Amino acid sequence: MNDRNALWGDLLRRGNSGDRAAYARFLTETLPVLRNIARARMAGGTAEEVEDVVQEALMAIHAKRHTWREGEPVTPWLYAIARYKCADAARRRRARGGGSGAEVPIEDLAEVLPDEALGEVTAARDLTRLLQRLDPRAAEIVRALGVEGESAAEVGARHGMTEGAVRVAYHRAMRQLKALAGEAGAHAAEGDPPDATMARDRTGHRTAGHKTTGQERDDQEAVTTVGRRR
Amino acid sequence: MKTEDLISALAADPAAPRPPRVETRLPGFLGLGVLVTALAFALVLGPRPDLAAALARPVVLAKTLLPLLLAALALPLVLRDARPGARYGLPGALIWAVPLAVAGLFLLAFLTELPGDRLRLFLGHSIPVCLPAITLLSLPMLAGLLVALRRGAPVRPARCGALAGLVAAGLATAIYSTFCIEDSPLFYAVWYSAGIMIATGLGALAGRQLLRW
Repeated sequence: MNDRNALWGDLLRRGNSGDRAAYARFLTETLPVLRNIARARMAGGTAEEVEDVVQEALMAIHAKRHTWREGEPVTPWLYAIARYKCADAARRRRARGGGSGAEVPIEDLAEVLPDEALGEVTAARDLTRLLQRLDPRAAEIVRALGVEGESAAEVGARHGMTEGAVRVAYHRAMRQLKALAGEAGAHAAEGDPPDATMARDRTGHRTAGHKTTGQERDDQEAVTTVGRRR
Repeated sequence: MKTEDLISALAADPAAPRPPRVETRLPGFLGLGVLVTALAFALVLGPRPDLAAALARPVVLAKTLLPLLLAALALPLVLRDARPGARYGLPGALIWAVPLAVAGLFLLAFLTELPGDRLRLFLGHSIPVCLPAITLLSLPMLAGLLVALRRGAPVRPARCGALAGLVAAGLATAIYSTFCIEDSPLFYAVWYSAGIMIATGLGALAGRQLLRW
């Protein structure tokens, strides 16, 4: 443990004073530990949820790296941030009303999901609507990188941002979009009269207290798909 | 986006010119808060005419010094609370001496005052001034602390806000005590503490909203 503290402390110290390679190594070396914490704390969470929390923890570490004091052990600092982000995610998950049954294997939804072509149209419409709720620059970055397929360098040049800053902004915007899509799905679910298909699906495959609908999955899928296309 | 891509993006993010830390921002913002509070105090309340003579009595001096000590001990705690994984250390243990001393003073006064005087001293005549004054006077300093603390990374935002409230309330109470002429611990040990608790609670509520990250 002391070796780890010494090594990570040294890497983060060098990273904080501008050594990018050391900083990248620090993040990479801590990644498995962050994953373990997230897995333990998000018991019942899907792999995707765990990875989301890991990414949030990484961004938090990045944003708050100046709160670590050189000379102090780095692991308590690191773990505290990871735990904080896990608690945050767990709270959000509870607020959404999702339990451990919030995620369903996609095959189970085959019957209720609209077919691909229709999904694309809905996705495009929903994406436009969701983008309007982001701040204009973030929306522009998502459009340029995710939809138009421009490179981060091109977008950065246009906005006077570094390539790294564009990527971080893009990543942040994608997370926000995902959250918005989830919200929209939940609202839609409340308004929808439960039709026969959905009812059968609920009783067949879902646990009680679960609010995710096919539409929400669809929205999330759509956004993720667009995100991966760059 | 894959996590590995995120890491390379974060590492490529140029080392920002060192962001000012909580410790560097705090004196300025807290000082500003103290200034506003002192100004409001001077304009609306002002010190009691016999302040110098009154402070010569230990039991009166205590009602100014104890809240000051509370603020001085809560300040390092709030700074530590804004750093993930930091321990409270010595000030975290010492701060309990303040409520202990207050309880001791209360008990002593209770035993030494005549039974017929106790209720009169306990109720005093200025509860409706004391509670709102301590709360209001602590707000400018609480605001200053919260602004500075937004740079930090408190893993328990409500607790960090409460500690900020404790610092602000301690300072506000010390200032208010120079106006207040209720010199019995039967009064101030209870009602000052109540005012401090209100301000601390406000700090917790504000912290929960403002110090999340």
